[in-house]
Amino acid sequence: MQPLANITPIKPAGAIEVRNVGQIFKTTSQDVVALENVSLDVKPGRFVVLVGPSGCGKSTLLMMMAGLRQQTSGTITISGAPIPQPDPNRVGVVFQEASLFPWLTAEENVEFPLALRGVSKADRRAKAQDALQLVGLDGFGKRHPHELSGGMKQRVSIARGLVQDPPVLLMDEPFAALDEQTRMTMGDELLRIWAATGKTVVFVTHSLTEAVYLADEVIVMSPRPGRIVDHLQVSLPRPRTYEMLSGDAFGSLRDRIWRHIRKSA
Amino acid sequence: MQSALGIKLARLAIVLAIFALWEFLSRTGLVNPRLLPSASDTLVTLGDLLQRAAVRKDLVVTATEVVTAFALAVPIGALIGYLIAENRYFAEVAKPLLFFAFSIPKSIFLPMFILVFGVGFSQKVGFGFFSTIFIVIMSTTTAVESVKVEHLTVARSYGATPMQTAFRVYLPSMLPVLLEALRISMIFNLTGVILAEMYASRDGIGHQIASWGENFQMKQLLAGVVMVAAIAMTFNELVRWVETRCSHWRT
Amino acid sequence: MKAATLRRSIVIALIALWEILPRAGLIPELFLPSLSSTLLAGWNEAGEFGHALAVTLYEVAVSMAFACGGGILLGAVVGSLPRPRILIMPMVSSLYAVPLVILYPVFTVWLGIGSESKIAFASIYGFLPTMLATAAGIQTIDPQLLLAARSMGATLSQRLVRVIIPAAIPTVLSGLRVGGALVIVGVVVSEMLISSAGIGYLISRYRTILDSPHVFAGVLLVLAMAMAFNAAIKWIERKASIWQTGTRGGQSTADDIAAGALRPAT
Repeated sequence: MQPLANITPIKPAGAIEVRNVGQIFKTTSQDVVALENVSLDVKPGRFVVLVGPSGCGKSTLLMMMAGLRQQTSGTITISGAPIPQPDPNRVGVVFQEASLFPWLTAEENVEFPLALRGVSKADRRAKAQDALQLVGLDGFGKRHPHELSGGMKQRVSIARGLVQDPPVLLMDEPFAALDEQTRMTMGDELLRIWAATGKTVVFVTHSLTEAVYLADEVIVMSPRPGRIVDHLQVSLPRPRTYEMLSGDAFGSLRDRIWRHIRKSA
Repeated sequence: MQSALGIKLARLAIVLAIFALWEFLSRTGLVNPRLLPSASDTLVTLGDLLQRAAVRKDLVVTATEVVTAFALAVPIGALIGYLIAENRYFAEVAKPLLFFAFSIPKSIFLPMFILVFGVGFSQKVGFGFFSTIFIVIMSTTTAVESVKVEHLTVARSYGATPMQTAFRVYLPSMLPVLLEALRISMIFNLTGVILAEMYASRDGIGHQIASWGENFQMKQLLAGVVMVAAIAMTFNELVRWVETRCSHWRT
Repeated sequence: MKAATLRRSIVIALIALWEILPRAGLIPELFLPSLSSTLLAGWNEAGEFGHALAVTLYEVAVSMAFACGGGILLGAVVGSLPRPRILIMPMVSSLYAVPLVILYPVFTVWLGIGSESKIAFASIYGFLPTMLATAAGIQTIDPQLLLAARSMGATLSQRLVRVIIPAAIPTVLSGLRVGGALVIVGVVVSEMLISSAGIGYLISRYRTILDSPHVFAGVLLVLAMAMAFNAAIKWIERKASIWQTGTRGGQSTADDIAAGALRPAT
């Protein structure tokens, strides 16, 4: 069904291509256009943030990139190939806090995707250890989620998303449930992990500050129907620091996003 | 709305299918009709029974017992439940005991009621009361605790009198839970009274059902079962209907 | 005084009163035989009670297998498929309002007054709450957990075994507790009504000859059985306490009551 995919040159690992994508939710009473004609290119290793008010379809777009939902029209390719179903070797997904399995320990949670694939116990343990070390949770592997703080739980989630070493990491409002301080710390942590692994990251958030602070590029979306209204390059130097938050460059980027959002809200 | 109607029709179809299967099994003789009289025969018998003065008297007896037990158990249970919920020390003392009382089977105490009250009205009402009161206490406690502290604080900060707090905060917050509690209590109450009638009694519909069973009068027995089930379900649906009417209070 | 101390004193006082009041003649021994005479009566007829207990336990075990097995199986199906759920759940909870004890005479006509009719009745008695609780448990599984599992490429059967079942265990356990308790009640009650063996039968027989100490000995035995069952389930629940967070929070107590899953919080 995808003749075009055969003749497109193979994209390097980690590239994401979204072409004219539309999504229509059918309900009994009417059809709701969740996304209309969305196109987007993410180069390998970039940190891209999707922002927009509720109902703009940013999470829907992310779910389609993860293969958790199929678009009604258009094509999405990850590393050059379409993604008809979830494939943790190509895409890791991090959800909000609640998505750790409460009956498993931290390391068992990280091992979960490997266990699904029948990877041997020893291999699983070793990979999980590496991933936990990467997210700074060395020594916490035996704890259950309810024994971890909100920030630590999200570190476990990130480790779980990375354990199969996919080139792409998709994050759906991962820090939304955290308090402000933890959120800032986790942002720095995420940037450190990103710099260390070179993954392509697509990150959905409500927070404008978080968006500008983390991103190479910010995609601003608006609702009814969901579409892209702006695409900003964030040229602030890296590593990002707390001082940048009060700088003019940061402020003007934030303002520009805010104006779009206010218009559509 | 069309799908809601569809669901209703599907449910009706399921009920009709069950009756049709019942009719079919009995009429074709797949099941001995003496053990399972057909649905239509049973419904005809039910109609006959309802004409009979004796059966009507039994229904009245049962209804009186149910209402009496309910009228005693609900206010007393609600008062105890309220006191428990309002006083933290009292709650800490009483709650585990109540939970214990709630979790043990009540039916085995039925012989006690006969030993104490003999066989008759007070024994059946007493047992109905006993079957109901614990669930009323527990539900009331839950209802009082379901009142949000924030709402009380808001009411207080705007200078509401205790009366106003009771009627404008407590009652609306508790109403949905209380209605649900009434519904569940009624189930316990009805079961208690009917069991007491079946166990040892001279009248009441439970007694009738038990004696039809002992005399192998299957038509009457099944008609009685259908009758009691219909009454219980109707009451249940009625309360539920009221519940959904005030469900907008509940968040 | 600390609440726990007062509570303990109340319990001790009640037990003491149970002994003292009948002995002092303040309560007739017919209404309430003293604790010691109850225990003595039970002890003297230990053989008879033991035999009755064996019959009752056998009926309880078989009924529990039917009630809980069927309830969990059907509850899982109904809870996980939205269509049957919307269709059937309200009908089932409406059925829950019917005093099921009226079915017992039907079973005695069909199956006689032996163990079969008790097992049939108790199975049906315990089936509904187990099914309702299981369906509710499956329904309240956090959809995020299922989405996360799917994002990691879990197949349908992997999701069932690794997510749905472990996440539903706490609710199923509480359903088992309620269902199991009802199975015990169902067996004993049906033995009390019409029967020729079992503890319920003994209680009724001694009641007709106004032998209160033996009636109470039987009642105590049933209580002990119910409490032992409760304690066993609680022990399993504690073992599985980590699971308790597997379902979405905020399920109201009213729903719990409706699902027949209201259970002691301690």
